[in-house]
Amino acid sequence: MLSIDFLDDVRRMNKRQLYYQVLNFGMIVSSALMIWKGLMVVTGSESPIVVVLSGSMEPAFHRGDLLFLTNRVEDPIRVGEIVVFRIEGREIPIVHRVLKIHEKENGEIKFLTKGDNNSVDDRGLYKPGQHWLEKKDVVGRARGFVPYIGIVTILMNDYPKFKYAVLFLLGLFVLVHRE
Amino acid sequence: MAARNGKNGLLEKWRIDEKPVKIDKWDGAAVKNSLDDAAKKVLLEKYGYAENFNLVDGRLLICTISCLFAIVALIWDFLHPFPDSKPVLAICVISYFIMMGFLTLYTSYQEKNIFLVSVQKDPAGMDLDHTWQLSSSLKRFDDQYTLRVSFTDGKSKHTREQEITKSVGVFFDGNGTLVMDQFEKCVSKLHNTLATEKKTK
Repeated sequence: MLSIDFLDDVRRMNKRQLYYQVLNFGMIVSSALMIWKGLMVVTGSESPIVVVLSGSMEPAFHRGDLLFLTNRVEDPIRVGEIVVFRIEGREIPIVHRVLKIHEKENGEIKFLTKGDNNSVDDRGLYKPGQHWLEKKDVVGRARGFVPYIGIVTILMNDYPKFKYAVLFLLGLFVLVHRE
Repeated sequence: MAARNGKNGLLEKWRIDEKPVKIDKWDGAAVKNSLDDAAKKVLLEKYGYAENFNLVDGRLLICTISCLFAIVALIWDFLHPFPDSKPVLAICVISYFIMMGFLTLYTSYQEKNIFLVSVQKDPAGMDLDHTWQLSSSLKRFDDQYTLRVSFTDGKSKHTREQEITKSVGVFFDGNGTLVMDQFEKCVSKLHNTLATEKKTK
């Protein structure tokens, strides 16, 4: 049997202590999960924190900025406002400004978006045959932002091996280390 | 048969109960944990008391229920995508944080640094069992380790306590190896003081 010293603590544990170590790990994951879900409930948005991925909204938002979103039903969408939306079939959220709105009497709207730093509107990005976005495509409206922090997320997604390595090491550390 | 022996053999090789305990002497948590474990060993092995797991089980139960709330939230949200799952999510999140509050109260007021609750069974089987509890404290970056032994008489429900504070340097050598003999002597002295008090009363 390999005798790695740092595992000694684990080897001396009885069943209850081992279960507690696993529970400890579970609790940390659960806390993070519950905070995320809690934010989802409070803001009404299915992705309350997003990272700006492209430079299409410069100079307002730069690549790597972290945005806090809310998606309250009462907030009307008006021309000139910045919305974060998802195109059907794609999971990457896009942060652009509203250009035109068509509004029906019952409140249903169709709107067109364009990135500040882009030269054309977003019709090229929408689904083939889709010319307008609707309320259901909206993930939320930006209410606050933190610059640069999102670069870590971009790095983790560009180099997934790095992400898995970090998560694996963190997980191992929590499982082995006694409080 | 051979397979089962093989499996037991692997488990035996994995557990290292008999190897002398060696820890990083500058890691306060590891020092306290190893001293607590050694004290437990003395009481359970030398004096043959039976460990009572109710206190620990209570904490494990609270933690398990909290994790269950989180798992329910995760699965429900997966099955019924977001806006529909709002009420269930809200309930789970609130319950989770209530359980966290519960857990904090439980560890602060019920557990109170107690790391061993053991029962001394009456050899004659006539009188009620006596309870021995061990608790300890070691402040951060401090070297003074306090071990508290408390004895609760089964019949009179009367509790007596005795504690001793020593520097951890007394029990560990330069490499961080626990000198079991020294520590055992200390724990036994504490134990016997309480035991004899019992006899004279």
